[in-house]
Amino acid sequence: MDGIHDMGGMHGFGAVPTDAEEVFVHDWQKRAFALCETVAWAAPFNSDQHRHAIERMPPAAYLTVDYFEKWAIACRTLLLEAGLVDAGELENGKKRFDLSPGDHTPVGAAELIEATQAGAPMSYPEGTASPAFQIGTRVRVSRASPAGHTRAPRYVRGQVGVIETDLGVFQFADTMARGDGPNPQHCYTVRFEARDLWGDAAEAGTSMRLDLWEAYLDPA
Amino acid sequence: MPHDHHDHDPLEEGAALRVRALEELMIAKGLVDPAALDAIVEYYERETGPRNGAAVVARAWTDPDYRAWLLRDGSAAIADMGFSGFQGEHIRVLENTGTVHNVVTCTLCSCYPWPVLGLPPTWYKSAAYRARVVREPRAVLAEFGLVLPADTDVRVWDSTAEIRYLVLPIRPEGTDVDALAAMVTRNGMIGTAAL
Repeated sequence: MDGIHDMGGMHGFGAVPTDAEEVFVHDWQKRAFALCETVAWAAPFNSDQHRHAIERMPPAAYLTVDYFEKWAIACRTLLLEAGLVDAGELENGKKRFDLSPGDHTPVGAAELIEATQAGAPMSYPEGTASPAFQIGTRVRVSRASPAGHTRAPRYVRGQVGVIETDLGVFQFADTMARGDGPNPQHCYTVRFEARDLWGDAAEAGTSMRLDLWEAYLDPA
Repeated sequence: MPHDHHDHDPLEEGAALRVRALEELMIAKGLVDPAALDAIVEYYERETGPRNGAAVVARAWTDPDYRAWLLRDGSAAIADMGFSGFQGEHIRVLENTGTVHNVVTCTLCSCYPWPVLGLPPTWYKSAAYRARVVREPRAVLAEFGLVLPADTDVRVWDSTAEIRYLVLPIRPEGTDVDALAAMVTRNGMIGTAAL
């Protein structure tokens, strides 16, 4: 979606707060993070859905709300949309209806840590899909700007780059965010020259690399 | 710990209160186990962080075979050090050299290699960094105090899919692996500092 989250290349944000080295400042930020990491076991809640729920916040709120509160807001959105809570419950934090026991089993501490350490690979065997592009091929990024979640940023749409690496076959974020399954396909590192993206204002001797799924790319 | 008392503190307000309410609701609904919440915070604070990445980098500096493996298959070589997990399933390591400088961002959100660097610092998540580092990387690096020669090939990596990136900085003087690890900084492994 063409949202405020798609910030690459925007002007107006001022200096980078290089001294802001903290991860957490407040205890509630840790709790918000932990809630999101934990509820995924009991609710429809993959990373792409969570990112998209953050992207759907009103732009003004996205720019002003604390990072970890955005995580919590996205969590509320996904729970509400899944019918696991209602708006009244979210309003005051008091339970008004019970969920069917057994349908939504909370993850225990030991299982959660084990799963966290194991990770969840998002790749598929090479043979799952054949690559449409070879290393060195010039490709143009689709101009498509879907309303849903997508990982092709605005600053490369319609731009021409070169396939630098075939990363292999991965689940596709756009369909994962819609709950439409993994749609496995090749994903590539594509190199863009700064001058192609930013014109005469480009800094000399700089280039950008993005990892782009095949669905975003056409031969140039 | 603050979350051990469940009567609302009148001084706690705003975001803290809203997150507390959400936590209590999710526990009441049976969607989360409070022990799991405590465990996951403790896990990320104790078991992840830049010291993990520093150990990887120092080993790569002192062991040519490991360095080659790390650059060829980052995730596997990093898992060999005991570092693995969410946001680290697919890690690619980028080598800085005398002529190439790599710097990592996520313009769309805050993608970051958690097992080796922990969760990202505030500046990495800031609008200014995300917006500017792809357009004017040299200017942004200069704000971090890193002014690169005009002939350095500056490569910006935008973490737009499932690969997470770790920069292998140029090795400083020294041979002792622990002493070298102590010289590795988080910014060095993101690419916003040299060592």
